[in-house]
Amino acid sequence: MIHLVAFVLSLSGFGALACAAHRQQRDLFGKALQPATRHMLRLVAFAALLCAFGVLVAQHGWALGLVMFSGHTSLAAGIVVCVLIGYARTKEQKLRHR
Amino acid sequence: MTAEGDRANTGRGIRQSMSDLHTWVGLLLGWVLYAMFLTGTVSYFKDELSQWARPELARLAERPDPAIVAQRVANAFDKIAPGTSQWSVRLPDDRNNSAYAFWRTAPGAPGQRGFADGHFDAATGERVNSRDTLGGEFFYRFHFQFHYMPVVWGRWLAGIAAMFMLVAIISGVITHKKIFVEFFTFRWGKGQRSWLDAHNALSVFGLPFHAMITYTGLVTLMAMYMPWGGQVAIKSPAERQHMQAELSAFTQPGKPTGQKTPLASVEEMVRQAQERWGRDNIGRVNVSHSGDVAARVVVTRGDPGRVSMSPQYMEFDGATGRLLSVRDQVGGAAETRGVLYALHLGRFSDMVTRWLYFLVSFTGTAMVGTGLVMWTVKRRQKLPDPQRPYFGFRLVERLNIASIAGLSVAMTAFMWGNRLLPTTLAGRSNWEVDLFFIVWAVTLLHAVLRPAKAAWVEQLWAAAALLALLPLLNAVTTQRPLWHSLARGDWIFAGIDLMCWVLAALHVALALRTARDRVKAPAKSKAARPAAMAVASGEAAE
Repeated sequence: MIHLVAFVLSLSGFGALACAAHRQQRDLFGKALQPATRHMLRLVAFAALLCAFGVLVAQHGWALGLVMFSGHTSLAAGIVVCVLIGYARTKEQKLRHR
Repeated sequence: MTAEGDRANTGRGIRQSMSDLHTWVGLLLGWVLYAMFLTGTVSYFKDELSQWARPELARLAERPDPAIVAQRVANAFDKIAPGTSQWSVRLPDDRNNSAYAFWRTAPGAPGQRGFADGHFDAATGERVNSRDTLGGEFFYRFHFQFHYMPVVWGRWLAGIAAMFMLVAIISGVITHKKIFVEFFTFRWGKGQRSWLDAHNALSVFGLPFHAMITYTGLVTLMAMYMPWGGQVAIKSPAERQHMQAELSAFTQPGKPTGQKTPLASVEEMVRQAQERWGRDNIGRVNVSHSGDVAARVVVTRGDPGRVSMSPQYMEFDGATGRLLSVRDQVGGAAETRGVLYALHLGRFSDMVTRWLYFLVSFTGTAMVGTGLVMWTVKRRQKLPDPQRPYFGFRLVERLNIASIAGLSVAMTAFMWGNRLLPTTLAGRSNWEVDLFFIVWAVTLLHAVLRPAKAAWVEQLWAAAALLALLPLLNAVTTQRPLWHSLARGDWIFAGIDLMCWVLAALHVALALRTARDRVKAPAKSKAARPAAMAVASGEAAE
């Protein structure tokens, strides 16, 4: 259960970080977001990642918690990129069909 | 030129130098590194693969009490190897369905091991007859000492390759100037740019793991690579024994008295260890001079939940069962080594963490693979005649095919061999290994003889077919087909069958993608110039 919570938090964190990145804003929203929104997204991202870290360390201790955090964040970042690739490809194909 | 311009040029120069360094240290032992990474990745499920490789050994529905199993095995040793100076048993756990023991035998001819080993039934303590196989142990051993060469040479080669990897990681980080800006960037269908994005993504997401696994890999064999400090500081046998006790619970047996007495209850000794570490947290039981007044029994703590390989054990007088000493901690240096060693092996992991290790390590394998392929992708565009590349290009291209696609074929062939080779075959486990290398050599020959693209596609299809059919072969040749495994909740057998299909699907996707790929003509026209410039800037950012 703790793993699931940590993974969802990591995924949310990297999702928010991706939304705050310039290139991904154009791909996802078609325009650049307001600076305030970007800052908010980054804050949310860091808070989510910090929570994932805290949850794992609280449950498993520093040594195991750190190892698990590293694994969850790597996997979450990879999944976010795969989703972004899938989204961009679908959008491109839809545009081609029009 | 302005000072700012000077700084910019210097910066570009360093980055370019690092890029060249990264390219060449990545390439020269890249094929070795790929094999080390992939076999190391599957080794996170070494015990599960070994269970799969011995389908005769029944699944343990419930974990047996380690204390009772230890006593059963101790009783068996009175008959199997009476008078052995030392035996050691790894007790069954969630990942191992049998007890595995090895023991010293009388010294034979020079060059003989002086050890025997075997699996023991947890329920009876009797030695079990299962097929002669190395199972997952082969991939594990291969990933740091290879095969068909002296172990020491293999380990040196692994160490040099790991050192190259460490240099490649550091130079890669310096070269990749946009780690954060392009963290989520992947540009699809842009040829070399896409390969670079994929390589960067695979490298950056798992960067903490890649750096850790490479460095800790070197640490695991550091005493062999750099023995001089130890040689200067530790001279007497007593000092060596003390150092050994800091590193391992398995020490050389002392001298027997020759006075016979039965071994005290091993079960009771393990019970005391269970009180200290928990019922299911017992690793091994090591016994020296069983049946002698000087007998010693060491019960070690298990690996789960402890990020350290430093020995923790309780030592008992084997004749009386009296607790002699408890080792709970080691010195700072030994503990540092123990922690780094544990991080590399990941044996402390629960199942989720083990999967995380596997998946991130898999991205590391893909990182090395994409790096190797990119070397040819980048240079193919500059070939004067892509149909007749120069020798170096052809060499790299063919080695890439055999070491990436060919290794998938060979590893799966090893598992086919496990199911198809007769169980009565003499030297069966050696034949399994030979089959692995024969098939790998055939893939190299195939890569040399066929056009490059056809070789890639055919080998990827071959790997996909072998992987997809392996669960069917398992169903035909054993009593443990997938539907049985699922019905009984045997997630080790079911998991391997299902994972074969996942990996088969991955190879199908790669084969289809490779078959569709078209080599672009070299950019010569003016219209193509912006693309060529983009590629050039991509090289700098690599």
